[in-house]
Amino acid sequence: MEKDNREVLLDVKRLEVTFNNSRKNKGFRAVKNANFQIYKGETFGLVGESGSGKTTIGRSIMRLNPISDGEIWFEGKRIDGKISKEEKKNVVRNIQMIFQDPAASLNERATIDYCVSEGLYNFHLYENEEDRERKVDEALESVGLLPEHKSRYPHEFSGGQRQRVGIARAMIMEPKFIIADEPISALDVSIRAQVLNLMNKFKEERGLTYMFIAHDLSVVRYFADRIAVIHNGRIVEVAPTEVLFKYPLHPYTLSLLQAVPMPDPQIEKAKELVVYDESKRDLSGEKPILQEIRPGHQVFANDREMKEYEEKLSQMEKEAEKE
Amino acid sequence: MLKKKINEPIELSAEPETEIDMNDASLFEFQRADDAASEHIAAPKYSYWGSVFRRFFSNKIAVLMLIISVTMVLFAFIQPSISHYDHMVAPNINNSKMHFLKPFTNGYIFGTDNRGNSLFDSLWSGTKNSLIVALSATFFSEFIGIVIGMFWGFSKKMDAIMIEIYNVLSNIPTTLIAMILVYAMGGGFKQLIFALCVTSWIGTAYFIRVQVMIIRDREYNLASQCLGTPLWKIIVNNILPYLVSVIITSVSRDVPMFISYEVALSYMGIGLSEKFASLGKLIQQYSPYMLTEPYLFWIPVVASAVISVSLYLVGQALADASDPRTHMI
Repeated sequence: MEKDNREVLLDVKRLEVTFNNSRKNKGFRAVKNANFQIYKGETFGLVGESGSGKTTIGRSIMRLNPISDGEIWFEGKRIDGKISKEEKKNVVRNIQMIFQDPAASLNERATIDYCVSEGLYNFHLYENEEDRERKVDEALESVGLLPEHKSRYPHEFSGGQRQRVGIARAMIMEPKFIIADEPISALDVSIRAQVLNLMNKFKEERGLTYMFIAHDLSVVRYFADRIAVIHNGRIVEVAPTEVLFKYPLHPYTLSLLQAVPMPDPQIEKAKELVVYDESKRDLSGEKPILQEIRPGHQVFANDREMKEYEEKLSQMEKEAEKE
Repeated sequence: MLKKKINEPIELSAEPETEIDMNDASLFEFQRADDAASEHIAAPKYSYWGSVFRRFFSNKIAVLMLIISVTMVLFAFIQPSISHYDHMVAPNINNSKMHFLKPFTNGYIFGTDNRGNSLFDSLWSGTKNSLIVALSATFFSEFIGIVIGMFWGFSKKMDAIMIEIYNVLSNIPTTLIAMILVYAMGGGFKQLIFALCVTSWIGTAYFIRVQVMIIRDREYNLASQCLGTPLWKIIVNNILPYLVSVIITSVSRDVPMFISYEVALSYMGIGLSEKFASLGKLIQQYSPYMLTEPYLFWIPVVASAVISVSLYLVGQALADASDPRTHMI
């Protein structure tokens, strides 16, 4: 859409991540030729089933997984591979991560005070001890925790509180970009909204950019501005949220959208599930690539499939106009 | 159906003079959930070491063993400085009346030996020397083992080299290496401690490496990496606290092991030099009298067994207590 006047914050080009288990075979390619841009101030959703490579992409951006090919650019600077200490510091300060399991991602043997101020200690982001305490208090307060919690250990908290500690720990670094790796999957349904609202609050207050990794489409629909669907390490479709839900093109996106349970037993019972099976698809023609079918709407296809999608899309658009 | 059931008791109770109108809004008031209050944690504050000691002192056998081992250690370190026992001096060696006195005669608590020396004095002096050897060997082999094991668990490059060194060193019997080294360097405290540590640290390092590999890739370590925490800080703050219990287990195994190594080496005549008494030396020296004067042989054997077992049991109880999984009841 108004793509050109928006500033690209993160640019991932031809990203490829390979895990080598043995020297004999080539290794497992977890992410294959992934291309996407994340614009400043938006929430970019990354959806796919388990093992599709969502988390691997997030961790590669965080420099936790080495990449085997491609480039990752953040604010016009390349951040993958070997970079200087100064640049590493810059990456850590500006990109932070919220983890899936709040119980596993906090050090059980450290107090909340240490957990939250770990980043401050590493970069000495405080003037004196008083300043550090003030910052920790502010961070805890901003996520709705009390200063008295500082001397507590993570196991004393509930799941929602622990996840908020995780958010406070990331926010205290004052990052520009946050990778949220399924931040609410491990939480009780009753407190999911609390964490999402908190993340929305920070987005508005600080103009943050999120990359939201999830497998729950209903949450992504509520939270994300743009969605990329990933299947088997490949990004198969990228589109603004409403466009994707209205005009899903790739068969995998279609079956993924269908899998969302409807809160109506009658509809749910009558629903005919289409299971995506790549072996039954017509894969003839040249190798497919991610190409733009409408401005801002990209789909993974070759020229033959493009024509089919074009037909399908124009038909869907006509139907939408009638209504 | 359901509605009727709910209504029934109300109809019954509504019989008396005061009739309650359930639709009267004035009877109800709004209750708001207090967000701040629900954040409050009611449980008392948790303290790791506080819980460790509470747990340890609730174990009666462990406390008994602690008392025994502390008494023996204190005795071993204090008594020799009062008696001024010197293993090379035997004033009564030519006075055969003073040889082989039975325990509790003439004020000799454990009697006297073949040279007329008090067994009580030589026993504590020997215990002291044995403990010095065992404790320092434990300290050095654990310290080197832990430091190297921590980095070994993290670095793949180091792993490739270290695993080969481990394969070679762990296949050579420690006793053999210790024997050769003591022969080559001569008997003495430093030499014996060096001979005991020179290969045993790699066992500890390997043990720590495996433990580090188990917890290395847990998510909280990734989180620390995301926050830019350097490796040594991750080791000190994220890994080491989790290993307190396994380190204590390893230490409590090492101390008795080194005591018995010292006893075994001295028994073979290659431990400390002749100048010093030690538990192993006493046992070796008195073994010819095992049948004629059994107390001379058995008292040092029992002393060495009691100190090993009590230290081992204290260590095991402490290791159990330092595992936080035992803190929740």
